[in-house]
Amino acid sequence: MSVEKRAAFESPAVLVAPQPEPSMMRRPVATTFGAVLVVLRVLAGVVWLISLAVLWRKTLIEDLGVPLDSDLEADAGSNAVLAVVLVVGGIVLAVELVFALLIFRGSNWARITVMIFATLSITGSAFDYFGTDTEITLRTTLITLALDILVLLALSSRNARTYARRRKQ
Amino acid sequence: MGEVGAEASGDPIGGAPVDEAPTPVERRRRISFNALLDGFFFVYAGIAAVWLAWLVFTESFAFGWFGILFFVAFWLVLAYLVLPRLHRILTTIYVPDYFIGRARTSDGLLGDPVNLAFDGDEASLHAAMARAGWTRADDVTGASSWRIISSTITRRSYDEAPVSPLFLFGRQQDFAYQQEVAGNPAKRHHVRFWHTPDGWLLPGGRRVDWLAAGTFDRAVGFSLFTLQITHKIDADIDIERDHIVDTVIAANPEARVDLLADFSTGYHSRNGGGDTISTDGDLPVVDVGAVQAAPAAGETEVAR
Repeated sequence: MSVEKRAAFESPAVLVAPQPEPSMMRRPVATTFGAVLVVLRVLAGVVWLISLAVLWRKTLIEDLGVPLDSDLEADAGSNAVLAVVLVVGGIVLAVELVFALLIFRGSNWARITVMIFATLSITGSAFDYFGTDTEITLRTTLITLALDILVLLALSSRNARTYARRRKQ
Repeated sequence: MGEVGAEASGDPIGGAPVDEAPTPVERRRRISFNALLDGFFFVYAGIAAVWLAWLVFTESFAFGWFGILFFVAFWLVLAYLVLPRLHRILTTIYVPDYFIGRARTSDGLLGDPVNLAFDGDEASLHAAMARAGWTRADDVTGASSWRIISSTITRRSYDEAPVSPLFLFGRQQDFAYQQEVAGNPAKRHHVRFWHTPDGWLLPGGRRVDWLAAGTFDRAVGFSLFTLQITHKIDADIDIERDHIVDTVIAANPEARVDLLADFSTGYHSRNGGGDTISTDGDLPVVDVGAVQAAPAAGETEVAR
């Protein structure tokens, strides 16, 4: 390290430079783990969107009985709906990815927001499971439910909470 | 130092002066709402984890022989997610948060008994322990965790291996010292140190600078309460206590011992892992204040 004379003003580059970790606390494993789980949740969403796009026509024709082959108007309409679903889903997943980054950086409001959505998702699954005899197995929604619960566990832990609420410089 | 404070004790972290600007009323309301929300998520996640464990358990019957993998997953979820969280919630309610002569585990369970006290500043204490042949334990970090795994696989020794966090005064231990037992990673001597708060007195009115909990790990096994894999400690904790005092006294002629007899009179109980412990209840107070801090590093090198 070279020792130079310090400028009389603070460099604005400091403002845009990555913040150093606070000396008070290292990033706990729970925070890192929570952010990674949110990323996994996004990947699960990507897989779901791809499978939806692939199976879209098949589902509409065979399960719902929409005559796509004979009805050109319905065909165009279904493609438009699919495009909208994919775009909206993509935006939601992109936002979730940003939240994962914010959590990793130690943002408290991002942590709370993700926990609220995880809670809503878990509660919805619970109503399905206990109310309407929907089975939750590995082949249906166990993976996404497990990810939601793990995200909630990791982000609500005391370490993750303390880190998100630490004094920011 | 993240594991500070318990939920029911009014959240000492949030209660500490965080910002400088807002008025007390504003700050209080904002923090209590945050704490309320966090408390809700904490408990809700615990309940959801129980459900997850149940789902994984039932799933383990659906996959034939692969079900064994699910059963392992069930144990992992139960031992490392569900039970710690439930213990944390329940012990917050019923385990007192003042000094009762016991450290607490990160789950809030009663941990190793406090069986040693020290007087003297931190540098003297480090010097005394180093001279007595003790090795300071690393903090738990990603790097040290990785080194535990790699040294286990390659069967190399790792004498600065970190010790698990135990809590006293709502704080993790300030540092820990240990001695390896030749060629056996399952066994080790170790002692954790906490600096006492300013002006804090032991029950009975004695002022000490440091409290310490020394136990001997005799094997690796299942914890009774959390089903986790952990070290089992030797039941007679007095042997380890006397070992620590003897080594410190032998290596540091300046050190003095003052015995508080029957401090925790002969109680026999369990530690956080469910191991039996028994003790005669004496609390030795070792005064290391006269130990010179500076030449310690050089001397230990020579001693080896």
